Amino acid sequence: MSALLEVKNLCVNAEDKQILNGLSLSINPGEIHVIVGPNGAGKSTLSNVICGDPRYQVTSGSITFKGEDLLKQNVDERARNGIFLSFQSPVEIPGISMSTLMKYALNSHRKAKGLPELDAVSFSKLIRECAKKFEITNEMLKRPVNVGFSGGEKKRLESFQMAVLEPSFCILDEMDSGMDVDAVKIAANGVNLMRSPERSFLIISHNNDFLYEQIKPDVVHVLVSGNIVETSDASLLIDIKNNGFSRFLNKGMN
Amino acid sequence: MIELVEKQSSIKLLEGEQRIIVENSLAKSTSVEVMPNSSLVHYRLNKGNDNKLSVKVHENASYKLITLQIGNGTLDIDVSLEGAKAYCQSDIAYALNKEDKMTIVSNFVHNANETTSNQLIKGVASGNSYATFEGKILIPYDKKKVEGNQQHRALLLSKSATVKAVPALEIYADDVKCSHGSAIGNLNQEQIYYLQTRGISKEEAYKILTSAFLREVTDGIDAEDLRTSFEKEIAECLLLNV
Repeated sequence: MSALLEVKNLCVNAEDKQILNGLSLSINPGEIHVIVGPNGAGKSTLSNVICGDPRYQVTSGSITFKGEDLLKQNVDERARNGIFLSFQSPVEIPGISMSTLMKYALNSHRKAKGLPELDAVSFSKLIRECAKKFEITNEMLKRPVNVGFSGGEKKRLESFQMAVLEPSFCILDEMDSGMDVDAVKIAANGVNLMRSPERSFLIISHNNDFLYEQIKPDVVHVLVSGNIVETSDASLLIDIKNNGFSRFLNKGMN
Repeated sequence: MIELVEKQSSIKLLEGEQRIIVENSLAKSTSVEVMPNSSLVHYRLNKGNDNKLSVKVHENASYKLITLQIGNGTLDIDVSLEGAKAYCQSDIAYALNKEDKMTIVSNFVHNANETTSNQLIKGVASGNSYATFEGKILIPYDKKKVEGNQQHRALLLSKSATVKAVPALEIYADDVKCSHGSAIGNLNQEQIYYLQTRGISKEEAYKILTSAFLREVTDGIDAEDLRTSFEKEIAECLLLNV
């Protein structure tokens, strides 16, 4: 099986400070990978580098997605090729509603595939179906993007966008932070609903119980000081929950 | 609520509620008087003209203005709150491109107790354009329980566009609440990145965010046709539809 995403010896700087130190990671279609690690290890950096965030510079290494060189593509090309990031703290955008944003986004995806724009009826049907899965109300879709929503509502709206755009690779950065128990269940259900043999996930979280019980990932990586120091199955989550990260800390580069 | 669509130079509202829509005002000078206990909503578009708007709001009366200023020209607004509990909300959107030069001068005088004014001025300057905003709120010494707010926000879409803001508060009274602020900046990179991660091109993200910026003003228009035509004027001026 050829990997959907292949990261090799990736080194990344932000403002001249090295954050990722030769990180390698391979994710096959249909797999759910989880990355855990102490704060500042580089988890969010990895998520954003895969998306092409201009704040980071890749100094060496490669990222291949669907067999193509991802580093040659800009942010929106990567998104249209199937990469989606559910943000840790999504930015507020006053003056544009979530439903309008989705119309622009969906049509950008369709245009790239050579498809015509969705007509109004099909669009609203699709939006309604996806909204229902994440308990998003009509009123929430009409409000400006991420303005005045609680942390949990913002995360649900991120999941909703993921469902609308049907990416083949979903990155969920701190998917359960700022959420209460019910909201976490909705998000986990969303992941499980979207799970398919073609779609892969990279999930970053600090909530080991949630990951172990609700998501049941295929692979768990421990990221310390910009590198993956341990890779195992889901049982690693329980080990870390009981024993913490201390035994991994001396394995990092720094 | 009555809709009047006409070009006129004098509006006097004696009673009740009214909505006046002036599409592309050609009048050099417009005077508005809102008599006690009445309320007026005034929408206007000014494109390429110099014009002056003088407003008097009397006791317990309310005046709400939403105006769009496109391209070259000057807009002089004098608002005088003449009676107790008079209220004025003034929202201005402006859009400039190419070699446009535009000046907005607003002068708000609180001549009575318990009067309130709220101003929101939002503009976008592109090309080599130059915008000047001068806004003054004057509160004479013997006035009580007066509130005046003025916020100016501008977006620069090119390195050679300029926006100059000169806000001024002249407060001679004690029992007042006043605020003013002005911010001039570029599009938010974090917002552009967010839109791009949803598959929207950078160029389209710029257009979406620019229109969204002025929509805070145009969204206040409760006549859909007019709101759409205002948004169209903005898009045409800033070449957002190309």
